[in-house]
Amino acid sequence: MIPPRPNPPQNALRLHRELDRVWGRPPGLRGFLSSVNHSELGLRFMIAAFVFFAVAGMLAMLIRTQLATPGGAFLDTAHYNQIFTMHGSIMMFLFAIPMLEGLGMYLLPKMLGARDLAFPRLSAFGWWCYLFGGAIILLALLAGVAPDGGWFMYTPLSSKTYSPGINADVWLLGITFVEVSAVAAAVEIIVTVLRMRAPGMRLTDMPLMAWYMLGTAAMMLVGFPPLILGSVLLEIERAFGWPFFDVARGGDPLLWQHLFWLFGHPEVYIIFLPAAGAISTILPVMCRTRIMGYGAIVAAVLGLVFLSFGLWVHHMFAVGIPHMALAFFSAASALVAVPTAVQIFAWIGTMWQGRPQMRLPMLHLMGFFSTFVMGGLTGVMLAIVPFNWQAHDTAFVTAHLHYVLIGGFVFPMMAAAVYWLPLFSGCARVKGVGEAAFWLILTGFHGTFLIMHLTGLLGMPRRIDAYPDNPEWILPNLVSSLFGFVMAMGFALFLLDLLLQVVFGSRARRDPWEAGTLEWAMPMPAPSYNIASLPLPGQTALDLARGEGMLPGAPRDRRETLVVEALGGAPRHVAVLPENTLLPVVTAAVIGGFVLLMLFGFYRPAAVALAAIALTAWQWQGFMGCRRDAGPVEVSPGLRLPPNWAVEDGLARTGLVCLLIANGTLFACFLFAVGFLSVIAPNWPAPESGPGTARAAIPAGLLLLSLLAASALARLSLARGASAALLALGAALAAAGLLAAGLDDPTRHARDALRAAGLGYVVLHVGIALMLALLCLVQRRDGRIAPGRVSAWPVWRIWQDYTLATTAVLTGLVAAQEVLS
Amino acid sequence: MTWPLRALLGPMLWAAAFSAIYAVHGLGCALDWPARPAPVGDLHRFALISLWLASLMGGALILWRMPKAGDAGGRIARAGGWIGFLAILLTLFPVLGLTTCG
Repeated sequence: MIPPRPNPPQNALRLHRELDRVWGRPPGLRGFLSSVNHSELGLRFMIAAFVFFAVAGMLAMLIRTQLATPGGAFLDTAHYNQIFTMHGSIMMFLFAIPMLEGLGMYLLPKMLGARDLAFPRLSAFGWWCYLFGGAIILLALLAGVAPDGGWFMYTPLSSKTYSPGINADVWLLGITFVEVSAVAAAVEIIVTVLRMRAPGMRLTDMPLMAWYMLGTAAMMLVGFPPLILGSVLLEIERAFGWPFFDVARGGDPLLWQHLFWLFGHPEVYIIFLPAAGAISTILPVMCRTRIMGYGAIVAAVLGLVFLSFGLWVHHMFAVGIPHMALAFFSAASALVAVPTAVQIFAWIGTMWQGRPQMRLPMLHLMGFFSTFVMGGLTGVMLAIVPFNWQAHDTAFVTAHLHYVLIGGFVFPMMAAAVYWLPLFSGCARVKGVGEAAFWLILTGFHGTFLIMHLTGLLGMPRRIDAYPDNPEWILPNLVSSLFGFVMAMGFALFLLDLLLQVVFGSRARRDPWEAGTLEWAMPMPAPSYNIASLPLPGQTALDLARGEGMLPGAPRDRRETLVVEALGGAPRHVAVLPENTLLPVVTAAVIGGFVLLMLFGFYRPAAVALAAIALTAWQWQGFMGCRRDAGPVEVSPGLRLPPNWAVEDGLARTGLVCLLIANGTLFACFLFAVGFLSVIAPNWPAPESGPGTARAAIPAGLLLLSLLAASALARLSLARGASAALLALGAALAAAGLLAAGLDDPTRHARDALRAAGLGYVVLHVGIALMLALLCLVQRRDGRIAPGRVSAWPVWRIWQDYTLATTAVLTGLVAAQEVLS
Repeated sequence: MTWPLRALLGPMLWAAAFSAIYAVHGLGCALDWPARPAPVGDLHRFALISLWLASLMGGALILWRMPKAGDAGGRIARAGGWIGFLAILLTLFPVLGLTTCG
């Protein structure tokens, strides 16, 4: 292949107009609803996250008001329960995760030298899911039916018997809706980092922020599915009485705890890693030096990504787990401090070798160091089992988690907001207000939470609304409440500072911090297309604006960006990205309708809404592929690359692999649930199976054979087997129907419920495979699949194989259960 | 094999070993393996220690097969190998001494 060379210079203004026409959006409401631009969506995520942060902060102040006196009459118990549940849930799911998604969405293409994220419509879809899910949860709070079982929704408290209203359903459905957005963002980020870097940028040349976001996104892919599974199972139990967590019928509440904390502990690192990425980016600039220990930091990220999945049981030390198992998780919990410490020492070394300048972002980083290190140390204390038993469920844990989350996420995010605000808004900051806000927040935070450790050690449990018989808790609670309000004033001032700068700030000069990194090489605020040409090593901002990089302008009136080889960054093909569309908002609205119908118990209309979701999803394929041979695209002198529809190894395939990793994790968690309940739960073995194994064997065999045939047909070149595969998949659905008819009553025992849920998983996957086969058939007929144009065919093939593999595993599992019983 | 895959090998082995040993621990307690004899000690501890040693050997093999010289990617891959080996050693060593199901 010809190495990339600079293009000849062009008129920068003409290029800007050409690109803005293609990549921009129409003004007004239609433009707002249809925009798929990563900068706009990233900003929307961050603004909405700050709004949710403010709401959750106000709830925190209500909690502190109630606890300021021992017999507070400010809130009754029912409202207090809703408020602390919503405070935690909003902070975790509607502030922290969307904030990091927004930051990653906004920054990554700019830092990597791309024009947008890999799947712009998916970004928009994730944004609308987040907005609608968050709105459902907030409206529930206003209506007085907000979740009230604590942010981790333990069963049996959250089961129908003890939470008969819709409060728990709001959490289960609303949060799951928001999690769809998180998984979408994770797929986006991974594919963008691996495949859309600037030409020639090797993985080891990437900015550290990209490494951190890659690690975060990988953790989200594996960390969110356990919670999605748990939420789905609990909602099914609440709606239809299938007993996954009901001890009397073979379920076990501990299964919920395992699934929740399999998500919940990695979540802490999911939140911390992007913040650490921001620190690794901002700190060297503030110290006028380079980051120390790039390789060591990447290795530490790798260690954190894995080790953080081996700690979840330390949230369950008090449930009666054998000592040896406790020791595994205690050791892992202590060990995870090592990669965290590697980063801390790399940052300290960076400050040591540089000349730190105490500008506002640096002040917030100092706030991070002083707070997070203390939170980390109390974390090591809590990792030690005997201490954990003493401090379990006390205010000590509340203090620890706030030290970790505000220290490890909020301070770095405030540093990031201040640091990148000129890029977001094009405005320069005005000194004074931000500094005052920082000192108020720092003083208020430590005044609130340092003493809360003591309150916890004095024995005060979490989540109580009154303590009339414990005078020793009065003073520390009053101090916490007073300083809590100081902290709240600080945060209000911080938000006001941002607002003032955006509204009244003077125009910022380019690269105001003299960082020299790629994201500052574009105009401020960044235009819709980011950069006029994609950077080659050593090119300046001026070179790029004049189109001397690769793929200058938009001469073909299409949204084009480069796709590179994952490891070395060699250019591979040109991706033509979709234009503005209403599909994401419509799809999210239809899913929102389904969620609301489920919430209010309208299960039959909800089934109709499922069909509407499938119909809307079908519309997404309209953009895929091309009906004629457009030929390769010249991206730099002499270098011509094919468009994405002509290559098998396109972005869609990489994205599907990521999605299947998430899906496979969910499936593995389901297998864990089967194993856990079979081995650990009381009231097993299950009652005799009514229909018997022999009667189920025939349809199960037919199901497997049909899927095997469909997989073989999907392999025929250019989807030639699509029409025959449709017949095979129809037969598979019929066989699944026969199996469903022969199932035992799923409300009878957890085993029967698990089998029904497993069959549901298979039917869903066969249904999607059927849609993909139909899509390939349509695309063959309209010319989108033809020699030199593969379109959806590779995606169908992979999905078909995945469906076959998971169905075979489930069939084998049921057969093994029958043989062993 | 590319260096990112090499870097992932050690941590993935740890993840597999951790899951397997935790699963065998739960299974052994449910099936009363501590009461069943084995060539050395009881069946439960024998199974757990065997799995742990096999995992350690796997981790050592990954480290041994890692190219000695290399660029930044090679160094990250070697670090990944060490992360896997040390994590297996330190998070699973309780199989040696603690009571299994108490």
